[in-house]
Amino acid sequence: MQRRTFIQALAGASLLGSLPLAASRALAATAGALSVDDLPPLKGELTLYLGRGEGGLYENVLQAIQKRNPDFTLNIRRGVTAALANTIVAEAKAGVRRADVFWAVDSGAIGLVNDAGLARKLPADLTGQLKEGFRYDNWSPVTGRIRTLPYNTGKLSADQIPDSVMALPDSGLSIGWAPAYASFQSFVTAMRLLEGEKATGEWLKAMNKRGKNYAGELGVVMAVERGEVDVGFANHYYTLRLKAGKPDAKVDLAFTKNDAGCLVNASGILALSEGELPVNFIRYLLTREVQSYLASEAYEIPLVGGVAPPEGLPSLATISPPKMDLTRLADLRPTLDLMRSVGVL
Amino acid sequence: MKVLLRNCHKALLTASLMLAAVQASANGAIGEHVNHLQDNLGEYTEEVNWVIGKIDTMVDTYEAKGAKAAESAQVIEIWEAVDFHAAIETNYVPVYASIWQGLYGVKEAIDAEKPVEDVWAEQEKLEQSLWQALGAVKLAAQYQQRGLLDEIKTTAGPTTPIATLDEVKQRLDRVVAKYAEQLSEEATSIVHDTYLNLFEGVEGALIEQDAKLVEELEKDFNVTLPKAISGKGSVDDVRGVVSDMQAKLDRAKELLKKAESERKDVF
Repeated sequence: MQRRTFIQALAGASLLGSLPLAASRALAATAGALSVDDLPPLKGELTLYLGRGEGGLYENVLQAIQKRNPDFTLNIRRGVTAALANTIVAEAKAGVRRADVFWAVDSGAIGLVNDAGLARKLPADLTGQLKEGFRYDNWSPVTGRIRTLPYNTGKLSADQIPDSVMALPDSGLSIGWAPAYASFQSFVTAMRLLEGEKATGEWLKAMNKRGKNYAGELGVVMAVERGEVDVGFANHYYTLRLKAGKPDAKVDLAFTKNDAGCLVNASGILALSEGELPVNFIRYLLTREVQSYLASEAYEIPLVGGVAPPEGLPSLATISPPKMDLTRLADLRPTLDLMRSVGVL
Repeated sequence: MKVLLRNCHKALLTASLMLAAVQASANGAIGEHVNHLQDNLGEYTEEVNWVIGKIDTMVDTYEAKGAKAAESAQVIEIWEAVDFHAAIETNYVPVYASIWQGLYGVKEAIDAEKPVEDVWAEQEKLEQSLWQALGAVKLAAQYQQRGLLDEIKTTAGPTTPIATLDEVKQRLDRVVAKYAEQLSEEATSIVHDTYLNLFEGVEGALIEQDAKLVEELEKDFNVTLPKAISGKGSVDDVRGVVSDMQAKLDRAKELLKKAESERKDVF
């Protein structure tokens, strides 16, 4: 059904207006990643609000896009993702629009702007490039990250780790976590939405007795590797990066099944102004080249069909993340209140 | 008290060697004068002389009438009263920290009713720091005139891993400065903020290059430095931890520079 809808959408001339025929054919054939060679050149000027991300790699992507498009000027305002989202909403309330595009490192911030009614609808041929479960009308995920349970391979095997995150506090395992960390808080938000407030509060209380606190999630993964704790909570890329630097590291990834413990969250982008240019700019981020670059260099998960995941990570098809509208993760306030009320923060 | 002019030239030379690498971004309220250093050099020089004169009077009072009459708490008000304070804070934080260390050295020697020779020794260190600071600001003014210094900004963030590590190093200098100001909580808060908002963003790339180095820096950020601050050791103890971290961050910069040069192209 999705595919039929997608091809029908392609047939609409209005949706294809900004794409050359070759690109339209490529899309119709693959419904996956296009090559940058299939895209129209960018011409004109855009202002991008960029939430700080992967240590300069997003900057490399933006520079490459600029270099490839000499008639295109990209003005960038950088800042903390949540602060930029609030700025966009505040500017809109004041009747001002300075940003044409917003690229956020987490989808919660995208939700905040989308909920304010500021995001423009994206064409179906663009959103149709994304994998199922990641197609949204008003924004596009760029790359993903999955919640994992890194475990010490010297002490445990994968089958000793519960496949339900809710069972972890009773597992007898020592656990490392970073409750102050934004990704962890998004995970708790997902748990709250999936399991309910009460169950999440009880889980946090039980975990608080077993959990050893770390400032960040790389710290969690390193503690697992040292054997300081048996298992931890962290986004997948920390473990992959540690193993890239230390191939004999005693750590591997385990995944829970169909719960918040294996949530796939995403960075995302939305257009705030009308016209072809913001949309075509977004298309560049979904190209095979950019998706492959972010997968190989930043260990992020490509969310466009036909691009290989980062080395060392099983394909998304073998993992069973929960179904979740990622923009609902913007609802962070009740999560922080809950974490504070049970003494985790 | 005797001004140590002979140290001034040495201070200027030292500052010139170090200044090129330092351009702090200020936070908090600073005057626009920091973006017009050249126009304010006369005022800064007067201020340094004024501070030195005020401290000298305080020490003379201590020698003549004792600790109570000296009113040592005024050292902080004296220093905070001058614009030069912001000029050095925004241009060369390491000397800024030394000034605070010197101010408290004088104050604590008086409060402890130490022999006046001990107070003079602390006063001499303070004066050295002040002249070194003036030298650094004069040099910064020359750089600024030639357009080699960015405008002092309050919101700009680094955009590359190397720039991020430079910013981390500068913030660590501020940790020493705040500790020297006896603002331990603020110093600790800068450590945590720097870790979470800056270092954490590059350590993933760094761990691919040298996992052991990241492990050491993780410990430095989360255990060693906070402990040195909460342990209420000397400013030099905290500075020692920071210097060690900055050396590691220099190694990290080299590793990331090399990795970046070998990175594949996007298109």
